[in-house]
Amino acid sequence: MNPRGSVFSAAYALAFFTFLFGPLIIMVITAFNSSRFPRVTPWECFTTGWFNVLITNDRLMSGLLSSLFIGIGVIVVAVPVGLAGALALSELSARLRATLYTVLIVPILIPGVVLGISTIVFWGQIGRTLGGPAQAFFYNGYFLTIAGQVTFISAYAMLVFIARLQRFDATQTEAALDLGASPGQAFRKILLPFLAPAIGSAAFITLLASFENYNTTVFTILSGNTFTTALASKVRHGTDPSLSALAVIIISITLIGALTHEAYIRRKTLLDSGKAEQSAIFGNPVLRLLTHPGAVLALLLCIAGGLVWLGSKHDSSVCEAGILEEKRAIQRQLQEEQRSRIDAQKKAGGQTQTPAEGGAGNPSPFGGAFTGGLAPESAAPEPAAPSNPSPFGGAFNPGTLAPAPE
Amino acid sequence: MGNFRTAFNSFAGRHGMGVALFVAIAVAAWVILLIVLPQLSMLDYSFRHNLPASQIGGPDDTYTLENYRYFMFGNDDGLNTLDIGILLRTLIAAVFVTILDVMICYPIAFILAHSASGVSARLMVIGLIIPFWVNEILRAFAFRVLFGATGLINSVGLGMGLWDAPVDFIRADVALYSGLAYAYILLMIFPIYNAVEALDRAQIEAARDMGAPWWRVHWRIVLPIAKPGIASGATMVFMLTSGALAAPQILGGPSSLWFTQVIYQWFNQSSNWQRGSAYAVILLLVCIAFVTLMMRVFKVSVGEIGK
Amino acid sequence: MRNRTVLLDHVSIRFGDFTAVDNANLKIDSGEFFSFLGPSGCGKTTLLRCISGFSDPTEGKVLIGGKDMKGVGPNKRPTALIFQHLALFPLMSVAENIAFPLEVRGASKKDRRKRADELLDMIALPGIGDKKVSELSGGQKQRVAIARALAVEPDILLLDEPLSALDLKLRQHMRAELRAIQQRVGVTFIYITHDQGEALTMSDRVAVMNSGVIEQVGAPNVIYNAPRTAFVASFVGENNAISGKVAGQTEGMVTLNTPVGPVSGRAAGGRKYKPGEQCSLFIRPEQLTLTGEAGPNTISATLRSQAFEGASTHLLADCAGTRLRLSQINTGAAAAPLAPGAALTLAFAPEHATVLPAGPMASE
Repeated sequence: MNPRGSVFSAAYALAFFTFLFGPLIIMVITAFNSSRFPRVTPWECFTTGWFNVLITNDRLMSGLLSSLFIGIGVIVVAVPVGLAGALALSELSARLRATLYTVLIVPILIPGVVLGISTIVFWGQIGRTLGGPAQAFFYNGYFLTIAGQVTFISAYAMLVFIARLQRFDATQTEAALDLGASPGQAFRKILLPFLAPAIGSAAFITLLASFENYNTTVFTILSGNTFTTALASKVRHGTDPSLSALAVIIISITLIGALTHEAYIRRKTLLDSGKAEQSAIFGNPVLRLLTHPGAVLALLLCIAGGLVWLGSKHDSSVCEAGILEEKRAIQRQLQEEQRSRIDAQKKAGGQTQTPAEGGAGNPSPFGGAFTGGLAPESAAPEPAAPSNPSPFGGAFNPGTLAPAPE
Repeated sequence: MGNFRTAFNSFAGRHGMGVALFVAIAVAAWVILLIVLPQLSMLDYSFRHNLPASQIGGPDDTYTLENYRYFMFGNDDGLNTLDIGILLRTLIAAVFVTILDVMICYPIAFILAHSASGVSARLMVIGLIIPFWVNEILRAFAFRVLFGATGLINSVGLGMGLWDAPVDFIRADVALYSGLAYAYILLMIFPIYNAVEALDRAQIEAARDMGAPWWRVHWRIVLPIAKPGIASGATMVFMLTSGALAAPQILGGPSSLWFTQVIYQWFNQSSNWQRGSAYAVILLLVCIAFVTLMMRVFKVSVGEIGK
Repeated sequence: MRNRTVLLDHVSIRFGDFTAVDNANLKIDSGEFFSFLGPSGCGKTTLLRCISGFSDPTEGKVLIGGKDMKGVGPNKRPTALIFQHLALFPLMSVAENIAFPLEVRGASKKDRRKRADELLDMIALPGIGDKKVSELSGGQKQRVAIARALAVEPDILLLDEPLSALDLKLRQHMRAELRAIQQRVGVTFIYITHDQGEALTMSDRVAVMNSGVIEQVGAPNVIYNAPRTAFVASFVGENNAISGKVAGQTEGMVTLNTPVGPVSGRAAGGRKYKPGEQCSLFIRPEQLTLTGEAGPNTISATLRSQAFEGASTHLLADCAGTRLRLSQINTGAAAAPLAPGAALTLAFAPEHATVLPAGPMASE
């Protein structure tokens, strides 16, 4: 690559990763701002209170339990089914293989909404036909969600197994057979151990996909809630930074997992390369212990635990009270101004109220941005912090926000 | 059928009867109970009237085209421009998001495959994956935080005096398109990366050596190799975007619905599952038809998807 | 003594229209080291998989120890196969690999370990039982694979080009090693190779195969000195082929009219030739000599190139479009090198040359 090309590459990569991480970083920051609406500016107080709000949200927490239950159910079904699919594909002739592959991969591409609908319609009909207790069983949010999710999550598991099977040397099975193993023994003792790591990653991907899923689940869970559907309805109907706090927790877990995994991979490559003994890190017993994935994990967990402990001690009430007081003061001042202005207008001869103008006029910083099904947060008019005299004039929605003329 | 029997026998000979039976039963159950029958059942349902539970199976439970007629013509006999318009808008927006993703992802996939090396490549891969561990809903939420009227972009824009009233990015669907493009980036990058990685670096160098400018190198050498990857990624992104529900619900403007939201409304607000099924069938068929058409145009097969 | 013979009775193996093995008839004796030699794609591996039980013949029978093996799976046959890439189990230790056949037969852990240690002693690698397969060298893997195959005490050991992945030196060492192991255990070895050096040095008998057909079966020296088909003559060892038509035959000697002039050689196997029949005369490079004068069985040729190779010098000459190679033993006297283009007269004794009916030849 010529120098100009590599400069371009670096700049592009930088821009790209800014796009990738920017929104997440902003969201993480908002988790610590005491402002009732998730935002970075204006900054009010550093607080850890939103974490508390999050864990006391019963709907989310019960959704978490349902999600875990469903996730385990999906793992138990989708991993074996995905494995069966991959094994079947490995044995078919080329033309049949292409056909079956298309059929099995299609659920990934079908819109989740369609999968959800077809699942509840189909099992509803089966239930009606059978009647009795079967009807209750087939018309159950957990059952339907597991059935709906397994339809496409099995294909994810299958892709993991296909990738692993492609690296399998089929002569291994033949060798086992030749050495006297029955086909079943060869499968258990040779192929299954070879697939073991893929079983682990398939289970993992399966759980994640099940947990994450919204489009299908929102139909199949019926009147219930999983973590993700509860989250979505919370986001749709008014937000607060406790969701940012949730993102902080998820991102932290991900980072800890990623770093531990990286430590594990590095150690494994080092050991496999056979150069471990010469390596400076491996030679030093202290460093050797420190770079062990277990030690890395423990260290990261300690740091996280320490931060949680520190955070739980943090008290932002004084600062928040101060901010509230400031807001009240500004509000009083605004009301004073308005009153005097209205008085002045009255005196000027009963003119009609002019809309509040930009600058200090508008009491709400929310403008009318979250209209359309999203209840504005501004139940109590909240004036902008002094650092940022609200420029959000009533341009969007003056009617609702301008003080009613007396 | 004979082919299946041969495959089954050779499978049983290789891995044992127990494993062969397990595989046959599991795959059959997957294909029949989870994939084929539910879709057929939905199709059947879409041709029925919305009846109270007591009348189902009764004399009034007949087949009808009413649900499809409604999609085309609405209540009166004029064209149902609202729903058709939403479907078209959804498709066009999905195409737009797909193209956006190709443009964003092609360079990064190429950089990842051919410019980055060792540590920086590993870091990039980790950096690509980490954001996608965060729940889809939260990612959409992040975009709302970013693009809201008091969001960072408006604060910065106003603070710098770039615009003097907050821009409603939500209403303008900027937030939605960015959020959707963001959501499916991984599904575009990895197929392109897999395709481009197979390219021998020497080919690029040879072309440069012969005096080809960089754009011609990409047009004549890299793009043809990347084509199956782009097709595979584009198919996935298009299908998932047009079938997205969470992002439009969270980031969509108040006046513009996504077609999936219409389906959702038939189910959850109007409790008209039959019509919802019909709309779902329409969405599925239109999407499949569109993807098939595009695959014809670009000469790729479904078998290459997911590799 | 156990009956460890293998009998191929009119064995044909077809895949659709393609005939991989065509009517093979062969008896391999107990305790014999038997090789199938042929170019890749000649059907030798297909035949081996058929003997080991991974496929059944389309026609004919495979008998092992006198018993028909039809329908008997690979795990039930008294054979053990050593795969080209060995197929050691990477997730198991060396000892677990070797004891795998005992494990699947339900032997106790203690017995398995004992047998593994015995076999490791036999292949002269004691004490490596706990190592991982990936920690072994190429030669060690080879020997572990043999030990694993012998753990079931098979009657027949089948080897599918097991040395092809090794470097030259190790390959030569392993030839001697394999031969020694075979003589120690007394098991019938059936060895597949495309390397004639391996086949000729190790085997008691060799079967040369081409295009699914067994062309000739015999002891290595017979195969080399008395080939029965043009393919065998051209495939085994270096040979010069001179094509022509039969001019006449007197007892065992046949004279051909060829582009290089009339030449004579032995009629292979005392076969009778019709005048005018299309034939080839084969003469090995080391049997061609440079001579001063023209006479019977001499060829006037032009030198194209020569290569000094220590013990011998190789010359490449050309006569009327027929390429001829000579190998001359260096006597130590520093002869003046010949210039390319020099005229040569080549001679050979008719009893060293073999005349065979025209047929397909091995490609260079």
